[in-house]
Amino acid sequence: MWRSYRGWQGLGLIAVSLVATLWFAATGRLTLFIHPRYVVFTVVMASVGLLLVIAAIADRVRHPGSDEHEHEHEHEHEHDRHGDQRSVTPRLLSALVSAVAVTAGLALLLLPATTLSAATAQQRAVNVAPVGAGAFLPISGSAAAKAATASTASFARFTVQDWSSLLRESTDPSFYSGKPVDVTGFISANPNDPANSFYLSRFVITCCAVDAQPLGVPVSLDNWKSRFVIGQWLRVTGGFGSNPSQKSSESIVLLPAAIIKVVEPNEPYLY
Amino acid sequence: MSFQLEQDRAAGKGKPLSAARSSLEASSRLTRKRSWALAIGVIGVGTIFAVRALSPTSLGGLLPAVAQDLLTLAYSVIIESLPFVVLGIALSILVQVWIPDRFIARALPKNLILRRIAISLLGVLLPVCECGNLPLTRGLIAKGLTVSESMTFLLAAPIVNPITILTTYQAFGFSNGILVARIAGGFFVANLVGWLFSRHPQQENLLTSDFAASCRIPDAHHTSTARLRQSTRLFAREASVIMPVLFVGALVAALVQVAVPRSVLVSLGSNPLYGILAMMILAFVISVCSNVDAFFILPFASTFLPGSIVAFLIFGPIVDIKMLTMMRTTFRGSTIVQLSVVVALVSAIIGLLVNYVA
Repeated sequence: MWRSYRGWQGLGLIAVSLVATLWFAATGRLTLFIHPRYVVFTVVMASVGLLLVIAAIADRVRHPGSDEHEHEHEHEHEHDRHGDQRSVTPRLLSALVSAVAVTAGLALLLLPATTLSAATAQQRAVNVAPVGAGAFLPISGSAAAKAATASTASFARFTVQDWSSLLRESTDPSFYSGKPVDVTGFISANPNDPANSFYLSRFVITCCAVDAQPLGVPVSLDNWKSRFVIGQWLRVTGGFGSNPSQKSSESIVLLPAAIIKVVEPNEPYLY
Repeated sequence: MSFQLEQDRAAGKGKPLSAARSSLEASSRLTRKRSWALAIGVIGVGTIFAVRALSPTSLGGLLPAVAQDLLTLAYSVIIESLPFVVLGIALSILVQVWIPDRFIARALPKNLILRRIAISLLGVLLPVCECGNLPLTRGLIAKGLTVSESMTFLLAAPIVNPITILTTYQAFGFSNGILVARIAGGFFVANLVGWLFSRHPQQENLLTSDFAASCRIPDAHHTSTARLRQSTRLFAREASVIMPVLFVGALVAALVQVAVPRSVLVSLGSNPLYGILAMMILAFVISVCSNVDAFFILPFASTFLPGSIVAFLIFGPIVDIKMLTMMRTTFRGSTIVQLSVVVALVSAIIGLLVNYVA
């Protein structure tokens, strides 16, 4: 009984995971979990996996007793070696594993895919891992190199990630003057000056959401909490300049000319 | 299809017409039964699709943000590993069912040391990362490799493997000897562990009794239909062993991520010894796949010494939360503890060497 149940449980769990993967891929949500470069490979392998699942279900429907035979075999061997001394603990443990896995599987089947929240940005600390020149760069190309060749207008296309790398490389106000900024991100707290500044941040993904690193640019806005809450997505235009705050250690901040609330973009992460 | 051909051929061979007809009927009944079973499979999968499609697209803040993030992190581990799990099971089926008995075991050199070296290079031919690697290792044990030899494969394949080498090269190039130290270190630790465990007199006692028993079931069938059936059965069995622990491992890894602030690990910083320990703890906790862990650790490269990065890159693919839960399906608890200690010590020593030399 238990063995037969375990067989169905394994098939159910892998079927649910494969179906959820393909469904998220079809609805454009798969990149909430993994980097876009894995999408094709993941979809191909998930399709292969589903064909195997269908074949395995068909086999179990036609030969329902096959697990029980194996069970008998194993039982004999258990007798051979331990005189059937199997204790209660491993059984309890495997029942627990099974209960947790099934609950998580149901959640994967029934709950919507969500973006990592500002709570995780807080926990991982915005800009803590120093993402300087060269970091992440085999994939995207250095922000400094981009900046060196960019025309003035193209700075408006720079992301939060690009600016945050530049801010690490240069704190010279003259470098930033006259360069237009137009960035989108969500609000996370800025511990340097919590009342009058926040980070406009995005998660940057190198492989999957597990390694998501929050990056952000400091935005100076007095008493911002009266207008916005943490986690709100904003599009901010303006320019970088010297920080008016005395308390903060950040010398360059984004001085907003206009701030509008936006909905979370379809591709919330940067890569 | 070949099944039906065989049936027809067997039926037609020197038998009276009526007998041939009745066995033809029997085989068409069989075909019908098989289509029915397949239809049930398709309906089952279709139902899961329907449920997934009809599930709500937003919960409107029903779950707290931390709980949502916990699930998102766990699912990203599962979804990231899933294609490699399928690939690993598929290769394991190939090795167990379709490659002739003992072919691999016989093709390898007889000298035990050379043999282990050859096994640790097998990953170049069978490029799966650590999650797909375990089912493949189970397949190799079932196919006649000794337990200690298969451990060499289990440890070496995620590191000495073209995809991992390529991504590590992309991330670090040849700077500070990180790439070379990783490949050489992974190769060395795999051979060392293989040698240590080969001295264990009772190889089978290293395995859980469940798995040891399932290895002893002889495969009786050799026709291609029997092989197909055996393949789907193996798929179901491997899925039933691996999926629950993959889910639990991913959840635990996500839980630790949500609970322990990353700044705690990072603040351990650039001390040559603590840095190595911190990196090994990080590797243990985050359970990132070896094919991509180089990209993951890249942002930390400027705060940590190169030896700490090397310790991360050798230790992580072999021992982490997800891998330990998965290894538990095959090896005994005591075996896993010994293995982890050896690997941890060796990774730390290699890391220290790199820190002082580089």
